[in-house]
Parts: sequence; C-alpha cells; structure tokens
Amino acid sequence: MTGKASTGMRKLRIVLWALVVVAAAGAGFLAYGPRPTGVSEVEAIYAKPFQLVNQDGAAVTEANFLGKPSVWFYGFTHCPDVCPTALAEMSALLEELGPDADKLNVVFVSVDPERDTPEIMKEYVEYFDDRITGLTGDLAQVSTMAKDRYIFFEKEPMEGGDYLMGHQASIQLVTADGRFFGTLATEEGFDTRMAKLRRLIGQG
Amino acid sequence: MQKFILGLAIAAIPALAQAHDFTSGSIFIEHPMIQEAPPNAPVLGGYVTIHNNGDVPERLMGIESKTAEKVELHQSVVTDGIARMEPLAEGMEIPAGATVSLGDDGTHAMFIKPDRRYQAGDEVAATLFFENAGPVEVVFNVEQRSAEAAPNHEGHSQ
Repeated sequence: MTGKASTGMRKLRIVLWALVVVAAAGAGFLAYGPRPTGVSEVEAIYAKPFQLVNQDGAAVTEANFLGKPSVWFYGFTHCPDVCPTALAEMSALLEELGPDADKLNVVFVSVDPERDTPEIMKEYVEYFDDRITGLTGDLAQVSTMAKDRYIFFEKEPMEGGDYLMGHQASIQLVTADGRFFGTLATEEGFDTRMAKLRRLIGQG
Repeated sequence: MQKFILGLAIAAIPALAQAHDFTSGSIFIEHPMIQEAPPNAPVLGGYVTIHNNGDVPERLMGIESKTAEKVELHQSVVTDGIARMEPLAEGMEIPAGATVSLGDDGTHAMFIKPDRRYQAGDEVAATLFFENAGPVEVVFNVEQRSAEAAPNHEGHSQ
C-alpha cells in the first residue's frame, strides 16, 4: 500500500514538474519570442494603392502623399460641428508649426464623395487653410481606402431623405513610408497635439 | 491664479462687446450665435445659452428661420472613436432655475441649406419654440470661428 502511494506521489511530482517546465517555456516565449505586431513591423497601410481626385480636380494616388509624414482626417462638408472644428484646429496647429508645416502632407478625405465634388472640397478646405489637401472621388475608391486603413464610416439616413455620415473622429498621423504613427484627438488640448506633430515630423 | 483672472478678463472682453440677449417671461436667452462656415457650406452650426429663471422645467422644442431650409437640433457624439450626429428628438430640457446651452456636450442647432452665404458680422433672424413660453424671436450673430472647440465646450473637455 505504501509502495503504491509513493509511486502515485512520484508520478504526480513528475507531472507537476513537467507543468512547471511548460509554463516556464511559455513565459519565455511570451517575453522573448517573436512579436507579430511590433512597432517596427506595422504594415504600411497608407502605402496601399488608391485613386482619388484632389480639390483642383487632378487625379492623385497614394504616391502623392508618401515621402513626407502625413496627417489624415475623414469627414464631410454637411457637418456643422465636428468637421469644421477639426479643420480650424488643424489650421491653428499648422500656423504654430510655421515653416515646419511644409514638412507634412495634411489631407482631408470626404467620406461623402457623392455630395462633395472637387469644387465643393476646394472652397471648403481652402477656407480653413490652403495647406490642407481635400480628396474626394468615386465612392468605391473611398470605401476601399477606408477599409485598407481601418477607417470606419457609414451613411445615417434622416427624415426627408437627407443623411448624415458617421465617421472616424480622430486624426491619423502617418510616417513618410505610410505606416500608422498615432492619432490626434480634440480633447487632448493644443499643446499635446502640437507635441505629437513635432514628434511625427522628427521621426516620421 | 493671476493667470486665471487674466484669462477671465480676456474671455470677458468679446462677451461684453457682443452682449445680446432676449427675454420671454422667465426665459432669458443669451447670445445666440452662428459660427461662420466656408462659402459653400451646406450647413451652419448655431449655439445659444438659455437660462430658466422660472419654477417649472422648460423645453426648447425647435428653431425655425426663414434663412434656412430647416433648422434641426442635434448632438454630436463620439462613441468608440466614431463621430455621429443624433437629432435631439425631444428637444432640449432646461430644468427650473438652470442654465443650459446648445453647445454643451456637442449639442447644436443645424441650419440646413442657408439661403445665402453668411459671414462674420451678419445676423440671422430665427424663432425659438419653447414648450411653455411659446415662440421667441431672436437674432443669431454670425461670428468668426475660433480655432478652439465649439462655444461652451470648454468646461466639458476637462
């Protein structure tokens, strides 16, 4: 009986030690193993191909906005509150950057291309700042671009056949080679957003 | 503290310069304003502060203006990083003794399809419709957009 018990104990001990080894290996793998989404390996989603039209009616592609760090926001001109505020705030940031503003591409993409023609985009973005590029074009192209970049937008019907757009609120910061770098949000305050832009220019 | 007082003083200057208000019974309507928008903007954002000095709750039910195809009361909300606008289907309540602003928490009046371009310095006549006080004629002053968030947002961003 004692023999049986000690054999059982020995077996249990072996199993427990085996578990310890497995746990240690697992912890080691987590700590030192490969990282699928390390910062340096972020996919260059902003280098994925697209074809849109800028506010002067010229065809543009992803290549037009690579080579410099860039700042992207998504909105629409039938937006009385969030979008104009974002554009006005961006203009204030560019003003504060001074000549360094030229080191950035700043792009406002319409998520409502059916209503936002290039002419409308031109008057709209240039009212705020002519350093901001306005993009619109084919809805399918905008949708593909948004999907590639994990940007959400959707039509929200209203009474009387009108509609509004729900869309990504934060501004996306992108490196010169098209990798996601960070975001700007209104609630962060001017100085924080400014510091993020300076860091983007410095490292992007 | 000194900085704070200076800030208050600076904040007070434009308020004094533009003071304009409207009264109807116990409802005191302060400084209706519209932010200037790009030349072809199909919508304008309007803001106003309402004091209810009465003993019963009041409700702003809607706004009408001959200068726009229609005026809707909305609230911009950001949920999980997505900005949306929702109609204020039941208007905006102003509890007895309270002050509430269109401009608080992303609320605003949306002037849809204005009849022409309105620039800073222009005035937009409108009627505010209250549940108890009824219609009140007001004038929205069109003002330069500030680089900061919409008016009355300051106290809510902290």
